[in-house]
Amino acid sequence: MRELWNIFKKGIIAENPIFVLALSLCPALAVTSTAINSLTMGLSVLFVITANNTVVSITRKVVNPKVRVPVYITSVATIVTVVQLVLQAYAPLLYKALGIYLALIVVFAIILARAEVFASKNSVIPSFFDGLGMGCGFALALLAIGIVRELFGTGAIFGIKVLGSWYNPALIMILPPGAFILIGYMVAGFKMLTQHLEKVKLERGEV
Amino acid sequence: MAGEHNKEYSIFQIAMNLTAACFISGAIIAGTYFITAPVAAEKAVMMKNDAMKALVKDAESFKPVKVKKEWFSAEKNGKVIAYVVPAESKGFGGAIKMLVAVTPEGKVIDFNILAHNETPGLGDNAGKDAFRGQFKDKKSEDLEVVKDKSKENNIQAMTGATISSKAVTKGIKEAVEQVTQFVGGK
Repeated sequence: MRELWNIFKKGIIAENPIFVLALSLCPALAVTSTAINSLTMGLSVLFVITANNTVVSITRKVVNPKVRVPVYITSVATIVTVVQLVLQAYAPLLYKALGIYLALIVVFAIILARAEVFASKNSVIPSFFDGLGMGCGFALALLAIGIVRELFGTGAIFGIKVLGSWYNPALIMILPPGAFILIGYMVAGFKMLTQHLEKVKLERGEV
Repeated sequence: MAGEHNKEYSIFQIAMNLTAACFISGAIIAGTYFITAPVAAEKAVMMKNDAMKALVKDAESFKPVKVKKEWFSAEKNGKVIAYVVPAESKGFGGAIKMLVAVTPEGKVIDFNILAHNETPGLGDNAGKDAFRGQFKDKKSEDLEVVKDKSKENNIQAMTGATISSKAVTKGIKEAVEQVTQFVGGK
């Protein structure tokens, strides 16, 4: 159990996909202009990465190593397409809201990276938790970026005004450059945090 | 075939491996599609009806207009009170597809953006009330984007999204003109 918890946990802090691994930064810039968009994207990725890790882990012994990357991409594409078809039929409103995000997920570096680095070498249950942890880390990172951008860019969070009319929204935060600058600061902040945590650990003599 | 004994796979086997993966993937998608397609088509029609109802709240029924493709007339007590017309124009990030409700007299009732690719947080505010509400009861000649707050008859551009504002307005204007032409020609 403890081992699974560690696998899960590392995706959120120690190996956070956005702030530490710096993977899938493109969607982190493109779809995080509002908190709700970020959350939707984060949850979609959480689902797909967990499902894909599971599938890749199950099939890892029958897939020839020479064609593993195309097979992984086929697997992600299949999962995404099936999800799209099912949503379109049974939850059209949700499908409409997720429309552009779902198609984007197929080419996310983070999903392919987890399939290659983790799921192809580990059994099903750890792979599932790895996907879950990475997905959560990704979703939380996106949500954090989205909240900050929406707050400074429009003065609202989740569409609810929090800053009064005295606040003059900074348009740059909504546009991609604002995201670039913000992510830079966040990565730096995250680095400081992890370094501090390591120092504390070292002082206690744990490592 | 000595290849099989020392675990060296031939190019053919590797290719077959990938082919098999794609084949399984195709089968899964085809199976899902087979089940979901009829449901999805049904839901799409329902959604379209709901969308039209939201545009023309007084309407009792919607009937397709015979001569015009994808046009619907909204009727109440057997009288046409509005036409629901698809419109399209080029925005900042590509085509903006809309559904516009216009009265037979050529006044805008409301519109609905079906698909777009505008900047999130700027151009996509076109669907929100602050911008959208301005179109109600406007006639074709009033449909012009301005940045002058004193011109209340015209459409005020969205801050930071002039191109999107102009595109939406242009699409709606065209829809209104088409309806006027259609009604006039009848």
